[in-house]
Amino acid sequence: MTSVTHEGVEHIADTIRAARARNEPLRIVGAGTWLDAGHPCADATRLDVSSLTGITRYEPGDLVLSARAGTSLADIAAATREHGQWLALDPLGSADGTIGATVATGSCGPLASAFGTPRDHLLGCEFVTGSGDVVRGGGQVVKNVAGFDLVRLVTGAWGTLGPITEVTVRLRARPEVDRTLAVALDAEPAETLWRWLRESELTPLAAELLSPSLAAALAVGNGTVALIRLGGNETFVRAASDAVGTLGVAHEVPSSVWDRLARAESAAALAVRVSALPSHAESLWQRALELIAVTGGYAHATCARGVVRCVAPTEGADIDMLRTALLRLADGVSIVGERMPAHLWPALPSARSTRDLEARVRTAFDPAHILNSGVLGA
Amino acid sequence: MSGVTRAAAACALPGTPLAAVSAGIDACVHCGFCLQACPTYLTLEDENDSPRGRIVLMRALVEGTLPPTDADVRTHIDRCLGCRACETACPSGVPYGQLLEGTRATLARVSPNPWIARFILFVFARRPLLWLAMMGGRVTRALRVSALLSRIPGRVGFAMAMLEATRSPVQRADYIASSDGTRGSVALLTGCVMEGLFADTNRATARTLEANGYRTQPAPGQRCCGALHAHAGDLDTARVLARANVAAFERAGAELVAVNASGCGAMMKEYGELLADDPEWHERAKQVASRVRDVTELLAAAGPQPGAPLPLAVAYDAPCHLLHAQRLSEPPLRVLGAVTGLELLPLEGSEHCCGSAGIYNLIEPETSARVLDVKLENIARSGASIVATGNPGCLMQIGAGLLRTGSRARVAHPVDLLDASYSRAALP
Amino acid sequence: MSALRSRLAAIVGDDRILTRTGELRSYEADGLPGYQKRPSLAVFPGTRDETVAVVRVLADTGTPYVARGAGTGLSGGALADDVVLLGLHRLKRIISIDRDNARAVVEPGVVNSRLTAETRRFGLHYAPDPSSQTACTIGGNVAENAGGPHCLKYGVTLNHVLALTVILPDGTVVTLGSPNGEQEGYDLLGAFIGSEGCFGVVLDATVRLTRDPAAIRTLLADFSSVDAAAQAVSAIIASGIVAAALEMMDANTIQAVEASIYAAGYPTDAAAILLIELDGPAAGLEDDVARVIQFCRSAGARDVRVASDPADRARLWQGRKKAFGAMGRISPHLVVQDAVVPRTKLPAVLATIQRIATEHRVNVCNVFHAGDGNLHPNIGYNADDPDEAARVHVAMTEMMQACIDAGGSITGEHGIGLDKLQYMDRLFTAPTLEAMCALRAVFDPDRRSNPGKVIPIHSCSEWRAAPSVRAAAVR
Repeated sequence: MTSVTHEGVEHIADTIRAARARNEPLRIVGAGTWLDAGHPCADATRLDVSSLTGITRYEPGDLVLSARAGTSLADIAAATREHGQWLALDPLGSADGTIGATVATGSCGPLASAFGTPRDHLLGCEFVTGSGDVVRGGGQVVKNVAGFDLVRLVTGAWGTLGPITEVTVRLRARPEVDRTLAVALDAEPAETLWRWLRESELTPLAAELLSPSLAAALAVGNGTVALIRLGGNETFVRAASDAVGTLGVAHEVPSSVWDRLARAESAAALAVRVSALPSHAESLWQRALELIAVTGGYAHATCARGVVRCVAPTEGADIDMLRTALLRLADGVSIVGERMPAHLWPALPSARSTRDLEARVRTAFDPAHILNSGVLGA
Repeated sequence: MSGVTRAAAACALPGTPLAAVSAGIDACVHCGFCLQACPTYLTLEDENDSPRGRIVLMRALVEGTLPPTDADVRTHIDRCLGCRACETACPSGVPYGQLLEGTRATLARVSPNPWIARFILFVFARRPLLWLAMMGGRVTRALRVSALLSRIPGRVGFAMAMLEATRSPVQRADYIASSDGTRGSVALLTGCVMEGLFADTNRATARTLEANGYRTQPAPGQRCCGALHAHAGDLDTARVLARANVAAFERAGAELVAVNASGCGAMMKEYGELLADDPEWHERAKQVASRVRDVTELLAAAGPQPGAPLPLAVAYDAPCHLLHAQRLSEPPLRVLGAVTGLELLPLEGSEHCCGSAGIYNLIEPETSARVLDVKLENIARSGASIVATGNPGCLMQIGAGLLRTGSRARVAHPVDLLDASYSRAALP
Repeated sequence: MSALRSRLAAIVGDDRILTRTGELRSYEADGLPGYQKRPSLAVFPGTRDETVAVVRVLADTGTPYVARGAGTGLSGGALADDVVLLGLHRLKRIISIDRDNARAVVEPGVVNSRLTAETRRFGLHYAPDPSSQTACTIGGNVAENAGGPHCLKYGVTLNHVLALTVILPDGTVVTLGSPNGEQEGYDLLGAFIGSEGCFGVVLDATVRLTRDPAAIRTLLADFSSVDAAAQAVSAIIASGIVAAALEMMDANTIQAVEASIYAAGYPTDAAAILLIELDGPAAGLEDDVARVIQFCRSAGARDVRVASDPADRARLWQGRKKAFGAMGRISPHLVVQDAVVPRTKLPAVLATIQRIATEHRVNVCNVFHAGDGNLHPNIGYNADDPDEAARVHVAMTEMMQACIDAGGSITGEHGIGLDKLQYMDRLFTAPTLEAMCALRAVFDPDRRSNPGKVIPIHSCSEWRAAPSVRAAAVR
């Protein structure tokens, strides 16, 4: 494979090389959606990659698509829909978000329940290291074990190993029928939903539990509601709908509810995810409800993955109160911060045992530590 | 280099039994599928004690990169049970049994087998000595010496337990089965240990065959089948014995030859290969071999007809030379299935060797005992009170193990169970 | 060496160390015959603690080593060329099975199919199913990021490993990934899986278990041309039906299988067959089966039949899974290839492969995962014939180049190991190989863990820069 770098990439490489020579920190910016996410970042010159847009290769028969990093998810969705396909990845936030940022932040949404996170979709990528080298990991085929896995390495690395300039992702055929049902759940909703998912063979595309506040905001019901997205042929979806009926009274809601869910939060809100073994879904859920009872906001859970996400307003909020609530939330479980006020970050516990290795990875790819410094923590 | 090319090597051991079969080595593609089928690999956890590893060693002998005097080669070839479970697992059709016999015969020329092996083979090849040995065994058993000494530690104790295990656990009255003979005439290989220590099973074999429409007839002049000799690498003696048996069964004239010891049956079915280089005998050997059947094959072909209820919890353990060498898995189950009221319990690892392997348990007692331990654990878990298996070596090995570990379970030949069932029904 | 030997013997016992020529012979090759490399010593720890202690002694003495599971790999990845061979097949405990969360913790030496056998009673199985699954170990699967026929629907090893406890070459024990919940930070777990033993040694793996499908339909479609079969594959994939497996075998392979003890009843006069498996809940499955049959017929299938019962289904699969071994029958030696091409390029690439085979007078058997474009062109030959061996080498190289030219990869599941080093700089740019070297250096700065594999050493800048490094490597 020859290196298919274009002018934009070369320019980025030059910029990085120059910055490295001057030891000047850079903040990688695409659409800018995630700028306020992650740990507070050191003041830095902006490295704008938003001009790298466009689908570079799309052969529908291969169900594989390559696009420059700045291409929006909406553009990818539009191009693939024409052929009855989709990138089954629905990160929360506006569809103007870019594929590059989605991969860099490892963002996903309810569809991760069935299709996994960006690491499971990514086949190849091009990125520019902190030394200004253009690297192309992976490839354009759906199965590939050639060489060490640079693709997984940069997925979720928040740009700290180099700005991603192009990605190749696996697509899927859109299901023949795509139907979303809303079911109100009473006692132990997370436990109920998790158990149903575990026992039902009719695996949905997504099954997201919504706190009463979120359900109300999306106008899908009163109380705690499970949104269940079913996809497949008509026979399957009919049988699956019947199975959802065993959870409670279900009613169909328009599929647009998923977009509304993705865009429900304000860019200023605090967002954190807590996770544990899926069998602990209920206790996680209760903690999340306790948090939002104090802070306001809402929670939603991908029960199949054992992940609960809490979104809380921060404008005018009492920071000490937030900190106390967060600490209670995080006690003994994994917590990952997405966005929060700068002075709250230090409160987040981190149990990473691999800091040493991670630091070495960082140094190997960005020797001068100039890329998005601080965004992944110290 | 690409890994495609290699230096061609001439055979380093021309004219040896191994050289004669060495083409079989090339069939091995080194895939490793045999590893998990091999009891010695699973027990000893060294690839040298696996079929793939042993084939590598055989190849080294043929290519001359290891001498036949190499002590490690000898150790690992000796440790093979010869159960041929690897042949069942092998997608490339490596004739492992043949390779093993060829290798053992070649190594035996360089350094002889241990004295105990030679002594046993010597006895089995001589009728008067064999008769004496079996007589001694029967007396020891009758005087309950074997029962008394079966729990003492060491080889003697184990041998006594093996002898004690030959006592049949099922009671049955003698009955007379008359046959219409519609299924043809059958001559029985009476065998050495079978006639010597399992005479009841031989009688049961004749009765059950008669009860299922076969006409049984004697085949005088028959001798030891030669399996023990062949497996130990003494191919010359094996051939002498094979010729005697070919002649005896030709004289008997029966359409079929029934064998109730699966090790012997496997050997007799391979008489053609054993005498392949003997122009005078090859065709005759092939002809007799083609008439050989395991007794359960014959019974299964006839149904067999069901007997009276025998409420026993039975686990079936497949003798390697029935399952892997003769590739027979269903017939013994059909025989057990004809015993009404018999509850057949699943036995994990029933396809694995018990560690008996001819005279292996006497030559490699340590490895044999480790392989047997696994078998005994599985039997205990199965909850069976009877372990059915169709080979004298297995019956004695497993039976001894059960006695020595204080288990209440006992061993029986499937035909004995069918016979007991028939005897209760007073068939026909 | 004798000092090292006695230190290791103090850990594992004298009988678990091999040093004599005769004993080491069995460990000179893995599942890819044709390469033989003699280890300087082989050591077989029986427990996790022993393994940790052994790796620490190796670290302490600066000794290079190669980890090996069952030695079923097909790229020469587990060959130890005059270095220590660390056998892990004795670490075969299934530590725990968590039925509720559908996961298991296993030691690296657990055989793939045994994990499935042990979890069957819970209605679960371990989804990655390489053809060697009855022999290969989970540790090896992690090292190679193993796939298998069913990874078309269920994903490869990467998608089924939640966490690993590994010991790095310097003796540090770390947990990569998280067995319970998300983790912030780099995806070191993802980087480790498929690192072919160059990053360290797995001590235990937490793997995801998959629910057994309620219903399975296995179809055998029979075509009179490879092209027609490839068209059927494209049609099925484009339809959105996600087959559990979609396998193709060409005429040569069919004949090899039918001549083996695993004869599966494949039509021996077919130019190609497709083995298609659909699974999942019963609801809707028959609709998909009907559509798949229709796609096959439209593409020109002579016959499509659905396996009548589980035994029939097992027989159809047995033929596929043992195909590689069955080829051992056709000719004395066999090269097993592994490459991936974009699925739409299958017909063209298969034609090119056939053209190359004809041109160089070699006998190629194609058996492959058509659903994901993962080809296995295997060439049977006689290595004792230098002319034929040379032609095979040239043909194989051209076939790999054809796959690269089609936008593919040089390995979909076997790994680079030793066998494919020569193609690495055709596939990756120099800075990319450099980045891979840098990543390896994070885990194994001294390149002691599986030295000489995956990345051609001339690709690493330190190698080019420092004559001392070069000299050391040559020694």
